[in-house]
Amino acid sequence: MSRFLGSLRDGIGFDLILVGAAMLFLLALAGLPLVYNVLMSFQQVDMFTLGSLLRPFAGFANYVAVVAQPEFWLVTKNTLIFVFASMAGQFVIGFALAIFFAQNFPGASTIRGLFLVSWVMPGLVVGAIWSWILAGDFGVFNAILKSLGLIQATVFWKSDPNFALWSVVIANIWLGLAFNMLLLSVGLAAIPRDLYEAAELDGANAFQRFWTITLPMMRSTIGAVLSLGLIGTLQQFDLFPALTEGGPANTSTVAGYWAWQMSFQLYDFAKGATISVMMFVLVLFASVVYVRSTRHEVRG
Amino acid sequence: MKLTHLGLMAGIAFGAMGMAAPAFAQTVIKVWSIDGANAPGIADTLSKEFNEQNTDIQIDYRIVPFDDLVNEALRAFATGQAPDIISLDNPDFALFSSRGAFLDITERAAASDIIDTSVYYEGPLNSVSWDGKLFGLPKYTDTIALFYNKDLFAKAGIAEPPQTWSELVDTAAKLTDPSTNTYGITFSARAGEEGTFQYLPWIQMAGGNYDNVNVPGAVEAIEDWKAIIDAKSASQDVLSLGQWDSTGTFNSGNAAMAISGPWELNRMATDAKFDWGVALLPTQTEGGERSSALGGFNWGIFATTKHPDEAFKVLEFYISQDERMFPEFSSIPARNDIALPETGVPLKDAALKVFQEQLKYAQPRGPHPEWQKISKAIYDAMQQVLTGQVPAQQALDQAQATIKGITG
Repeated sequence: MSRFLGSLRDGIGFDLILVGAAMLFLLALAGLPLVYNVLMSFQQVDMFTLGSLLRPFAGFANYVAVVAQPEFWLVTKNTLIFVFASMAGQFVIGFALAIFFAQNFPGASTIRGLFLVSWVMPGLVVGAIWSWILAGDFGVFNAILKSLGLIQATVFWKSDPNFALWSVVIANIWLGLAFNMLLLSVGLAAIPRDLYEAAELDGANAFQRFWTITLPMMRSTIGAVLSLGLIGTLQQFDLFPALTEGGPANTSTVAGYWAWQMSFQLYDFAKGATISVMMFVLVLFASVVYVRSTRHEVRG
Repeated sequence: MKLTHLGLMAGIAFGAMGMAAPAFAQTVIKVWSIDGANAPGIADTLSKEFNEQNTDIQIDYRIVPFDDLVNEALRAFATGQAPDIISLDNPDFALFSSRGAFLDITERAAASDIIDTSVYYEGPLNSVSWDGKLFGLPKYTDTIALFYNKDLFAKAGIAEPPQTWSELVDTAAKLTDPSTNTYGITFSARAGEEGTFQYLPWIQMAGGNYDNVNVPGAVEAIEDWKAIIDAKSASQDVLSLGQWDSTGTFNSGNAAMAISGPWELNRMATDAKFDWGVALLPTQTEGGERSSALGGFNWGIFATTKHPDEAFKVLEFYISQDERMFPEFSSIPARNDIALPETGVPLKDAALKVFQEQLKYAQPRGPHPEWQKISKAIYDAMQQVLTGQVPAQQALDQAQATIKGITG
């Protein structure tokens, strides 16, 4: 008995308690809503059964109905474009900025700190600001492009089906840039300086040093940044109502916004849940790929 | 020992409070509305006045943001926490009344000294009725008409606002002047209820309705809109602008005409530095059938209320103050027995007369319990055509098929 108590104080029991508490917490806060969501996607839900758990079983009817929606494939395509373009933009520009600010020049850390402003601001505010910037007739962005001679006619970023999704992508890249830069800066700082010095003595140029030292040493950081980026982008919501509301003609609707629209604008809660379950499967798939790709990583 | 003593004291104190409470017993009626979020509105002002009367009923008023109103109400109703009275946008009303979530007040209204259902305009009254029963009362109403800049019309040598759709297209083109950043017209073709609100009247003028959207005239109407945008007589941003923002460009002189409602009047009276007027919406052909959109809010009592009599009394009080609706809150009562007094602002008074005329043609959206889905089918089709992605006939046929699937 005393051995058991002892192990609770300092031993395997203590570890189990800590892990168990975290697991319980996860189950209650993430697991239950998830199960509820999956359950809802297989049920017939209306305003009268919104609060109850036992509802008529619908089988795969909700899934069939979602796929049969005329906008389903458009939304799928938009979601993929939005996720990959946003992640690519956030990562590449964030990485470039992180490397830029890793150079020691006066004020480097102060200016880097200023970049965090975008990260601190609520998405709706960022959306409203970009909504003004990207406005068609009197927007700042068009004025700049016109004065540079890059465009002649007004570009309607938010109302042109060719650009609407990209206007949200631009705003989202700006929003997520600072977070990417911050994480990548930390990763950069963790690389021992003497590796670079040794490489330089051996005659490696800047590109070779980046390719053979920076990238391999930051493998786990990059993996984490990309998977967090995927999750952050998939759950991005605020920018859509602020910028395009999914329009024109659904050309900027992505899965997350669509799920919200189904549940809270059309009051079709079952379909909303169904779409989010589909998204969850996508994220699950992405995380499995991420976990597998970092499995053989050398630790230390 | 001391602790028990304290506990006993506390017990006595609580007991005393419990006994004293019935002396102040008042029935609390919970009321939800969007009024009062930005400026004093109807529901918050009237509730405060009602409470000051110190009757045995007290109103517990809560402001709910417009976008959350239906959601909050649905959630509250599902969990048994619904308020006693709610004020909803008229197309959202059928969602609740058709499912028996609102109290049937047909008999109470018939027996009431204050309420007379025969004075209400037909459209607003339809929106609170379901299956021949009365589930609420109209709070106020509004509609859309054509605002026009008289100065720009005079400059272009145009005497009258356009009477037909094709005249509208031509007039908009004549008034467009890129050199001064002036568009001929502005409206809202947004992906949302406002888009449906503005396009549905055109479908109705052509003899269609929300459940019959692919009539030939509806195709012609949306092609006219597309022609206006393609000719750059209207900004392409009408696809993403709400009515309030869209009319902002009219107020600043950057659009010669605007389609919007009486909620613009106060702002326009101060912002617009030119002579303006309001005209009825143009019809498909000269002297053709008129139609307009019906906006406005309704009052409803939730069927779950524990105090239906008291809630009805509160409703009666609200209705008894309808005469103050326009002078104090710039909202038009949904009834024909109230003469609207002059405001002293000539442009506004002239505009109000046109809006009252236009209201005679206003038709409610629905009523249908799944209105939101029907609305989405309509504004999706409208946007597909305006962005040139799908031909008008095909888009409206598709919308019609979707709507048929909803209405059965």
